[in-house]
Amino acid sequence: MTMNPPDLISILILGGIGLVAIGAVGMAVSRHLLRLVLALAIAEAGANLLLVLAGYRWDAVAPILAGAGATQPMVDPVPQALVLTAIVIGVGVQALAVALLIRVKEAYGTLDIRELKTLVEHEICGAAGIAPPESANAPGTRQPYPVPATSRESA
Amino acid sequence: MNALALPVVLPLLAAFLVRPVGLVSGRLASAFGPLVLLLCAGLLVNIAVLVQGQPVSANIGAFAPPLGIVFYADSIALLFAIVVPVFALLLWPREAMQAGGDRISALMLLLVGAGTGMALSGDLFNLYVFYELLAVASFGLVAASGTARAWAATVRYLLISGFGSVLALIGVALIYAQTGTLNLAQLSEFAPELLANPLGLAAFACLLVGFGVKAELFPVNAWVPEVYATAPKRVSALLAGVVSKLAILVVLRLILLVFDTPEARQLLLVLGLIGLVSGELAAWRARDLPRMLAFSSIGQLGLLFMAMSIPGVPGLVAALAVALHHLLMKPALFLLAERWHGGLENLAGAGRKAPLAAGLFTLFALSLLGVPPLPGFWAKLVLLLGLGEQDALLAQAAIAGVLLMAVVEAHYLFRLVGLLYARNEHDAPPHRMGDLAVASLLGVVLLASMPLLPALAEGLGWMAHQAADVTAYRAVILGSTTAGAAP
Repeated sequence: MTMNPPDLISILILGGIGLVAIGAVGMAVSRHLLRLVLALAIAEAGANLLLVLAGYRWDAVAPILAGAGATQPMVDPVPQALVLTAIVIGVGVQALAVALLIRVKEAYGTLDIRELKTLVEHEICGAAGIAPPESANAPGTRQPYPVPATSRESA
Repeated sequence: MNALALPVVLPLLAAFLVRPVGLVSGRLASAFGPLVLLLCAGLLVNIAVLVQGQPVSANIGAFAPPLGIVFYADSIALLFAIVVPVFALLLWPREAMQAGGDRISALMLLLVGAGTGMALSGDLFNLYVFYELLAVASFGLVAASGTARAWAATVRYLLISGFGSVLALIGVALIYAQTGTLNLAQLSEFAPELLANPLGLAAFACLLVGFGVKAELFPVNAWVPEVYATAPKRVSALLAGVVSKLAILVVLRLILLVFDTPEARQLLLVLGLIGLVSGELAAWRARDLPRMLAFSSIGQLGLLFMAMSIPGVPGLVAALAVALHHLLMKPALFLLAERWHGGLENLAGAGRKAPLAAGLFTLFALSLLGVPPLPGFWAKLVLLLGLGEQDALLAQAAIAGVLLMAVVEAHYLFRLVGLLYARNEHDAPPHRMGDLAVASLLGVVLLASMPLLPALAEGLGWMAHQAADVTAYRAVILGSTTAGAAP
């Protein structure tokens, strides 16, 4: 089965948008920090794909293959240069993120964002010398029964 | 004007030289960064004097625009470019002066190089690259405080910023697919034809939210309170005061040159209003000073986005006034928060122990509110007058929002001022001399600008006229001969 080129390009564009969407949804719903970093990487891949497609022609060759005597048209080199830069930046930022994750895991023993949020909030409040807010997981109303000492400690 | 590249190149180069210099002499290394910044600030002032207010451009690597990257310096760009090294000097972290501080020095130099580049660059992708560099340098500075909570806050900051970068890249891709150029001057030429459509608006929204991460724009500002509460206060001051303004400058250029449409301005107004209301209400509920300042910073920058939504020169003047006012206020307040980082109720009586700090805080609080003789009043007045000129329902709602939020602001600021002067024994350590000196300097600048307000207003008006002159921008960058020639 052959596909005519415009279809191919629109499939690629849809793929790019799909990757960004997968990444965005992943960032919205994940609770684990490493998953968030991975979702970010997927979204970045999608954005990079879209950027390459901004200068893509189905019937052209890569810019480096079009020498002085070449007769074939080449794809627009500018987005390719941009994407190279964007990929390098992305890799650097992801490496930094993972390095920070290692530190966070060592310090708190968890990478779950909700647990981390509570822990960090407690630590900030502790440093500021104020009582930490009630946990987001705690019931909103005052508890009608006396809380057993054990569960109060684990809370 | 190739000297324009120097204030960007020198700090970037110096950032990588700090370490080798540190191997030779530790003392030299700790003075190296400030010396380079001093040189950069001197160079920029020298350029500003030489050009006498005329816009100039520099082609990087002698590649002519639109293909090559171009730096453009009109008076606004030069003003913000000078602000970056000067404020970095004023807010130079104490840790960078100590032994082993060369890493922090290097990060500060990277921040300054990237920030100056953002103020000067006239190419959209180049702006993106500088923006990323600025982001990475600020992650490093926040994480360098070395506490676990700062690492956790940096991760959150990094993820939100990374998502913003993805959006900005998509915006760049959309623009390039539509126009085939990323040179702002050329984009300003093509925009009325090619970008005044839903796709162009989508590109603007992507770029706005992408660059808006640093400017604490509404949907992408969740990092702000944690980062400002955990980072060293001087870094918080730099991020809130200077870095946010650079992102604002990019948005300002985009809206002036490329996306000068009512829809884009409406988007700015709505996001700014939400930012203002959510920020001020959160600041009202905050229980410690750093986070109160962080949330109020979100509110103030919401005001700034609202100012940018006003079309034409009045909007620009309002935006500049609010931006410069915030630039003076927030770093000074964060410096005062260095010693007052505890909960608000723990600050009771702190002002009696530190009369100068409390006096400065009261002064800044009054100006932040916009009490008449202070410059903050004028900034808010210009903004409200600009909004009042429009008869859209949204603008009227915005005016109501600004006034209502001023009441909220007054409540939490006066509550704190009252606490500072409460009769209570307070045993916090006194402020460091350096912090107090910088805060006092900013306070003196604020007071000195009061009698100069008419002249200042005229100056800002002139700068706004120059920045709004799109034809001049094109003529300077593309040259009169190449203007209008498609690639």
